[in-house]
Amino acid sequence: MIDLEEQLHRYSDFKSFRPGQKAVLTQLLNHHDTLAVLPTGGGKTLLYQLYGAITKQRVIIVSPLISLMQDQVSRLQYLGSKRVIAITSAMAFEERVAILAHLNQYQFIYVSPEMLANATVLAAISRQETGLLVVDEAHCISEWGPDFRPDYLKLRTIRKQLGNPLILMMTATATKATRTDILVKMGFSPENVEQVIMPTNRANIFLSAKICLNQKEKNQVLVDLVSQLNGAGIIYFSSKSQAEQMAATLTQQTGKRVMAYHGGMANQRRFRIQQQFMNDAIEIVCATSAFGMGIDKANVRYVIHYHLPANIQSYVQEIGRCGRDGHQSLAILLYEPNDQYLQLNLMAATIPENQLLAHLYQHPNQLSQNDAFRVIKYYYDNGKSFEQATQIFNQAKLRRQRELNTMIRYIYTTGCRRKLLLQYFDETIHDLNPDLCCDFHTDFWGHWQSFNQQYLMQTQSVEKKPLNDWRAILDRLFLLKN
Amino acid sequence: MELSTLYILFGDLTQTRRAKALKNILAGRRTVSNLYWALEYDLLPYFGALRDFKLGDEKNALDRLAHLGLIVLTDRFSFQLTNQGRDQQVNLLKLLPPIKKLTIAAQNDVVRFSSRFIFATQIVSEYSYSNKRYYPQTIGFFDDQLIKRWFIQNKQRQLPNYFQELLDRFLTQLHDDLLAEIFIQSLTGHHFSGETEDQLSAKMGVPPTIIQLQWLMLYADLLTRVQQIPTSPLKLLLVGLARSPMANSTNKTLIMYRNTDYTPEQIASRRRIKLTTVYEHLLEAAIVLPVNQFPFSRLLAEPTKQALESHQPSIIGEWAFKEAKAAIPDLSFFEFRLFQVLDKKRKNDD
Repeated sequence: MIDLEEQLHRYSDFKSFRPGQKAVLTQLLNHHDTLAVLPTGGGKTLLYQLYGAITKQRVIIVSPLISLMQDQVSRLQYLGSKRVIAITSAMAFEERVAILAHLNQYQFIYVSPEMLANATVLAAISRQETGLLVVDEAHCISEWGPDFRPDYLKLRTIRKQLGNPLILMMTATATKATRTDILVKMGFSPENVEQVIMPTNRANIFLSAKICLNQKEKNQVLVDLVSQLNGAGIIYFSSKSQAEQMAATLTQQTGKRVMAYHGGMANQRRFRIQQQFMNDAIEIVCATSAFGMGIDKANVRYVIHYHLPANIQSYVQEIGRCGRDGHQSLAILLYEPNDQYLQLNLMAATIPENQLLAHLYQHPNQLSQNDAFRVIKYYYDNGKSFEQATQIFNQAKLRRQRELNTMIRYIYTTGCRRKLLLQYFDETIHDLNPDLCCDFHTDFWGHWQSFNQQYLMQTQSVEKKPLNDWRAILDRLFLLKN
Repeated sequence: MELSTLYILFGDLTQTRRAKALKNILAGRRTVSNLYWALEYDLLPYFGALRDFKLGDEKNALDRLAHLGLIVLTDRFSFQLTNQGRDQQVNLLKLLPPIKKLTIAAQNDVVRFSSRFIFATQIVSEYSYSNKRYYPQTIGFFDDQLIKRWFIQNKQRQLPNYFQELLDRFLTQLHDDLLAEIFIQSLTGHHFSGETEDQLSAKMGVPPTIIQLQWLMLYADLLTRVQQIPTSPLKLLLVGLARSPMANSTNKTLIMYRNTDYTPEQIASRRRIKLTTVYEHLLEAAIVLPVNQFPFSRLLAEPTKQALESHQPSIIGEWAFKEAKAAIPDLSFFEFRLFQVLDKKRKNDD
C-alpha cells in the first residue's frame, strides 16, 4: 500500500491533500477508470502530476484550452515536473514536427482534442506507451452543454487506439445529467467507472450581487468597491477593450495598482502581469475569462463580475479563483439591465444564423476552411440534414437563453443565493452560516465596508518594496555565494 | 509602437517622405520600392529594425501629427517635419541611446535575443536562490530547448556571478541611471517581476513607444558587447540571430548572374521564375550591396547611362520614369531605377 502523504511530500511542496484528491489518486492507483468532479482550485493538476511521478508512466492530457495550454505547461513545471510539452494547432509546423520526433522525451503531454484527431499526431502518440489518459474539462463532450467540442466525441475511439489506457475524466462543475452524458459518450456504463464528486459549494466565498440603474452607477460602485476592498482582486469583463479601459480608470481613480490581462496580449507582457499579480506587486487584474487558467494564486480575496457570465457553471468557475487559501473571500456580481443584451450578442456570435448554415450546407467544402465551423462540420459529416441541423442549433440557442435566464434569476433572487446556485448542481447544504453566506441573510450592501474590515485580509507583498535604484535591484536579482 | 512617434523620429525637415514607405522600411517589408525609398531616405541601415512590432495605421498617425502642427502633409500620404516637429525630434532623440544602435536590430534578431536573455536571467536568478518552484517564461519550443541546453552546459560556470558582473558593467557603462533603470525593469527573476512598457511610461513620463525603443536599442547594444567576448558563457544564446541583408532567392539570382554570362531571360528560364522577378532580385541586390560588388556596368549599357546622365534633373530621386522615358524612348524601368540607385549610392560614397 502506497503512503500517499509521503508521496505528496516527496513530489510537491503541499503539506496536505485538498478534499477529493486522495480519493481520486487511490482509485487511479488501484487502476480504476475515474470521473472526478472537483471544484475550481481543487488541485486537479496535482492529481495527474502525482500519478505520473509515483508510477513513472506517461500521462496524456486532453485539454480544450488551446490558448492557455502553455500556461498549464508552466504550471506543471512550476509544480516540479520538467518533461512537459503541449501540442496545439497554435504552434508552427516545424515546431510540431520536432516535438513529435522527440515525443519519448516527455512524460506529460498536453494535446488539444483537435490535434489528437490529426492522424500524424495520434500515430506519434500511439507509438509511446501511455499510462494515463486525462480528459480535462470533460463536460465539453456533452452536446447539450455550453462548451460542446465535437472532437471530444472522438476520444472514445482515440482511447482504443492508444491501447485503452487508464482514464481520468475531470471537470469542475457538472450536473448529474452532464456526468451521465460524459460516461455514455466515452463508452462507459456508470458501474464501471469510479466517481469522485466533491461539492461545488465553497463555504468561504460570500455571495453578493448588485443591480445598478445604469452603467454610470455600476462604474461608480466598482470604483468605490475597488478603492476600499482589502487584498487582491480579479474583475471579470466580457470584452478585452473594456477590461483595458476600466484598468486605466481604476488606476486613476482608486490609487490601487491595476492592470488588464487577457488572451490577446503578447506572451511576455502576459507573463509579466501574471508574475506581478502572483508576487502582489499589482493588486487587481481586469480580466477576460482567459485569466487564471494556468496560475494558482491562493490569496485572491475577491472576484467582481463587471459583466455577467453566460451561465451558472462559468460563474462558479470564475468566482472559484478567490479564497483558495481557505480564508474568507467575496464574490460580487454587478449588473445593469443592458448587460443581458451584451451576453445575448455574444451568444448570437457563437451560434450560426440560419442563412450561414444554409450557405455552408450548399458549399460544404467551405466547412473545413474555418475553425468556427467545426460544430457545423460535425453535424454535416454525421449525415444530419439541413433541417435537422437547424433544429439542433435552434435548440442550442434556446438552451443558452435558458441558461442566461438562470444566471439573471440568480441576480434578481430574493432568496438565498447559495441555495439557488447549488440547486443547479443538485446539491444541498446543511451547515449554513448566515453571516458568511450571502447578501440575502445580511444587509451586506449597507455594511460592506465593515464586512471588508472584519473578514477580508490585507495582502503582505512577497515582492519587497519597489526599488528605483538599478544597482539595488541588480544586487537582489542574484544571490551570490562567495 | 505608436507610428506617430516613429514618424517624428524618422521624418525630415527638408525631404518629403512617404508615410507608407517609411512604415514599410521600419517593418522590413522587402520590396524593391521600399528598399529604394530606404536608400533615398538614407534609412537603408534601419530596414526591418522594427519588424517584430505592430506599427499601427498611417492615416491616424499623420492626422494627429498634422493637427499638432508637427508635420506638413505635402500630399495625402507624404510629409515633412515642421520646425516644431524637428524640435520634438530632437527632444525624443535625447531620450534614446544613439539612434545608430537601431541598425543593429536590422542586422540581428534583437527581440529574440532579448527574450532569450530575459528568460536566461530568470532561470539564473531563481537558481541563485536555489528555487526550483517558479513559473518559467514561454518563448517558443526551439528557444526553450536552446535555453535548457545552454543552462545545462553552463551552470557550473558560476552563472549568477557572471550575470551580475556583466549587467553591472553594461549598465554602468551607459552613464545614464535612467536608461539603466529602464533596462533592469525589463528583466524578471526571483521575487522580481519588472515592469511593462506602459507602467514605465507612466512612471517616467515618456511615451510607451520610447520605452520599447530604449529596450530594443539597449538589448542591441548588449548583444554586440556579448558578441565581442569570445569566451562568454552566453555564446549559445547568440545562435541564429543574424539577419541576411538579402533574401535567399535574390542571392541565388545574383550568384547565377555573377558567375555565368547568362542574360536575365536565361536566368528566368533556368530558375523557373518570371523575368520581372529576376529584375527585382537584381535591383534589390543593387540597392543593398556596395557599388563595387554589383555588376552595374553589365546591366546598364554605357550609351543608356550617358543618355540618362544628359537628361537627369538636379534631384534624381524626384525624377519620374514617365519624364525620363519621354526623353529616352528605349529606356526600360529597370534601367531607369538602376541608374537612380547607382547615382544615389555614388553620392553616398562621396
